[in-house]
Amino acid sequence: MSGSVIQEKVAKLLSRQSGKPVLRPIKPLALKNEVASRKLKKGEATCVTEMSLLMACWKQNDFNNTVCSKEVSVFYTCVEKAQNKAKAKQGTQGRLLPKEANTLLKRFPNQSSEI
Amino acid sequence: MCVSLSLCLVRWSRYNPYYLDPDPSKDARVPESELSPEEKELQELKTVSPIKAALSSDTSSAFNDPLISKFINMMMQDGNKILARGIMTQTLETIKRKQVEKYHKSPAAKREEIECNPYTVFHQALENCKPIIGLASVQKGGKSYQVPVPLTDNRRRFLAMKWLITECRDNKHRRTHMYEKLSQELLAAFANEGNVVKRKHDLHKMAEANRAYAHYRWW
Repeated sequence: MSGSVIQEKVAKLLSRQSGKPVLRPIKPLALKNEVASRKLKKGEATCVTEMSLLMACWKQNDFNNTVCSKEVSVFYTCVEKAQNKAKAKQGTQGRLLPKEANTLLKRFPNQSSEI
Repeated sequence: MCVSLSLCLVRWSRYNPYYLDPDPSKDARVPESELSPEEKELQELKTVSPIKAALSSDTSSAFNDPLISKFINMMMQDGNKILARGIMTQTLETIKRKQVEKYHKSPAAKREEIECNPYTVFHQALENCKPIIGLASVQKGGKSYQVPVPLTDNRRRFLAMKWLITECRDNKHRRTHMYEKLSQELLAAFANEGNVVKRKHDLHKMAEANRAYAHYRWW
């Protein structure tokens, strides 16, 4: 299968038969049982417009929450929607998350030596 | 202060995320015809997945209130649940007494507005103490700014309870009991006055003053 093809190529790169070897590895050429974590994508601040509306209402009515109840409820709905969106967006996109991949690899690691 | 040996703690503190919370109320068993499709799915899930052990403080009685239990736990010091629960019951009793006295002293026209149920007074007072926006410290360009940030429901409830408890512990005369001071603060918060509501308003004012930094948030 493709495993032996890769091993032949690696053997060719390491061999000294055709001049100097291309690779001079310090560590063994094997995959780690870990995936590098992805850079956190910086989003923007959510619900800023609702917050500014709420604060304007507060300023006008001396921080009275009963008078500003409508803006408060609008703000809460916006926050909930933003939270749901953030949660749903994290896991989809087709790929496994690095954390999930690492848990799977910990449970089913690549065998580096014969047990 | 575990006096009797019959109170063995069986519940673990860390469970796998797929464990469901127990529902000790007597109305948990509803006949199938009255359930919507999502609730039917939830019931199916409950039959298959494991459920956490119930806490010894959760009862199936009608008087079991999760909010009051949480407040008792927050008031408790050194594991002395008996004392904390005693203080809570005394507080509720004091609230009831004060409100009933007010009820009998007031003219017939104003009697309907006076709320005598101490549980509703507690719930409403806590709602009035909950902040809507909080401040988070965000570092940008070497300097840290206080950024106005929306808070989760749990965080708001925790802050309200924490403020109430610290206020009652610190700002009282050495000879007033905790339940007395608590009842005073709860009745004041019920009427939107008092130090705790003032603290909430101060937080809102700080958030309003720092509204220019709202865009420093990235979540």
